[in-house]
Amino acid sequence: MSTMAPDRIELRRDNTATADVQLPAVKSYTQATDEILDTLRVTKAWFAGLGVAVLCLLIGGTAWAYQIYMGLGVAGYRPPVMWGVYIITFVFWIGIGHAGTLISAILYLFRAGFRTTIYRCAEAMTVFAVMTAGLFPILHLGRPWKFFWLIPYPHWRLIWPQFKSPLVWDVFAVLTYLTVSATFLFIGLIPDIAVLRDRETNPVRKQIFGVLSFGWRNSDREWRHFARAYLFLAAFSTPLVLSVHSVVSFDFAMANLPGWHTTIFPPYFVAGAIFSGMGMVFTIIIPVRRWFKLKHYVTINVLDAGAKLCLFTSLVVGCAYLTEFFIAWYSGSEVEQSYFWNRVFGQWWWAAWIMLTCNAILPLLLFSQRLRRNTTFLFTLSIFINLGMWYERFVIIVPSMSHEFEPWKWGPYAPTYIDWAILLGSFGWFSMWFLLFIKQLPVLAIAEVKEIVPPRMRHAHAEPDPEGHSIAPGLIGSYEVR
Amino acid sequence: MRGIVGVFPELDATVEAVAELKKLRVGDVTVYSPTPRHELDDVLKQGPSVVRVYTLIGALAGVTFGYWIPIWVSDYWPLVVGGKPIASWVPYTIIGFELMVLIGSLATVLGLFVNARIPRITQTVGYDPRFSDGSFGIWVECRPDEQETVRRVLAANGAAEVRDER
Repeated sequence: MSTMAPDRIELRRDNTATADVQLPAVKSYTQATDEILDTLRVTKAWFAGLGVAVLCLLIGGTAWAYQIYMGLGVAGYRPPVMWGVYIITFVFWIGIGHAGTLISAILYLFRAGFRTTIYRCAEAMTVFAVMTAGLFPILHLGRPWKFFWLIPYPHWRLIWPQFKSPLVWDVFAVLTYLTVSATFLFIGLIPDIAVLRDRETNPVRKQIFGVLSFGWRNSDREWRHFARAYLFLAAFSTPLVLSVHSVVSFDFAMANLPGWHTTIFPPYFVAGAIFSGMGMVFTIIIPVRRWFKLKHYVTINVLDAGAKLCLFTSLVVGCAYLTEFFIAWYSGSEVEQSYFWNRVFGQWWWAAWIMLTCNAILPLLLFSQRLRRNTTFLFTLSIFINLGMWYERFVIIVPSMSHEFEPWKWGPYAPTYIDWAILLGSFGWFSMWFLLFIKQLPVLAIAEVKEIVPPRMRHAHAEPDPEGHSIAPGLIGSYEVR
Repeated sequence: MRGIVGVFPELDATVEAVAELKKLRVGDVTVYSPTPRHELDDVLKQGPSVVRVYTLIGALAGVTFGYWIPIWVSDYWPLVVGGKPIASWVPYTIIGFELMVLIGSLATVLGLFVNARIPRITQTVGYDPRFSDGSFGIWVECRPDEQETVRRVLAANGAAEVRDER
């Protein structure tokens, strides 16, 4: 222990243990405003990134048009595997969306100060990930223009959807999640759009920001109701985030297939979703903090705290993997045991081992504090996590359908180039929206960052008032709502 | 609408000015700050926000509608399966929950808009763009005979700028 202690102190020298809720390099409100708004300057690299994203989107769009013309067979769907890359990617993107709400809502309720400088990025990621996920059930339809049949309304045949169907639950859950997370993002943006409005010199843009900020003026009345509304939106989002991936897991758990029909799915899916979302947060936030020179906002301590969360969810996911095997063994069901054997040592061994390595083995390296505070390592690991979580959904969906009860039903599945093109297109769609977002609106929450920046004081050390509320700088981490 | 606006670079100076204005009971005081601060809440002594009422009503309406619609549909188009209820409340809980969250959230936003009085078409009187950046502000809507007192209080407590607005 005596030899370990100096190293740990050395590692923590730049950022003290409590600095994750303070920003020592940010000295004033104006500095925060200037530096965050500076990220909105358009650069050539941004244009290049947007061009690549749009190109990927066009590739995906072309593949979809070809699929509509030729039929779903070009996407490799044939009995017994009728759900493939599209549903895998749907679950993948829904999962990505979960970390945003975790960081913005759940960590807000828990008063975790480290969320302050990363939550805007994560929230935007959530909205765009759910927008991307929402495309896949439509892409999976042979006649996508009939997608609105899932929406409950009394149409000309007076037939309603079957409310006992998990697919209808999906419609309610995903649309609610998209609406609430977009609302949460936009409400949080209002004070920051007011900052943009007040700083803008172009009259047209000033007018647009004026409309989007709803005439926000930072008055005490506005802040009082804003804080309360934000708290309630966070309180609604917290159970919502748990419910949405539970409902997505019901798509599988309600079906009587080996590997699917299990009660472990809801918590397993929720933990996996948060884990994958944290992976994507790192994939996004590490380049953003570097390119936009925001290292003194998104500090190493913030990344360290996020990495701990990532490690915890990885352990939960790893535990769920082991529990699945235990349930198969303990059930005594030959079909279930055969399925799991096939998953890991048979037809799909390669996919299962990618999943296990990326999601349960590699993240164990995060036990090392030195690695948690190494951004290159975190970024590389996040890529592996994204890959592993996509393959987790592959392993859940494809092996069950290709290896169900009777051997004569077993069959192969291989994604086609149409699948891969549409998968690429989904990344293009997501990246395009995100890139547009970060150049139009602040990528860090200006008003919330100012909560942890010491305000200017006339007297250096003010005494606490009789009720015990001191006029002291930088103690609020996040505003306590009354 | 006429009154005096004061621009303050410091938080504690703003708090002291508000406290003195409250003590003197002059005009209607509005405080601007780039971010919410407890010190201002404490000195203004405002009650709890009523947004909670909107949230509660929205959530109750949502959960009621969310249960009602599938139950009504089950009754309208019954699928009779032996030993099974026509309307099974367990799966309908998902619809009820999701609509509770959806309508409750939208009602919360409505509550924010109504109580914070936004959207606001004009925002020039008593407002200064510095209030969204690094400065605090006090806008006192008052009678002409109170203006001199207000001006004096704001200046004495460290306002960087005091001006009349109408």
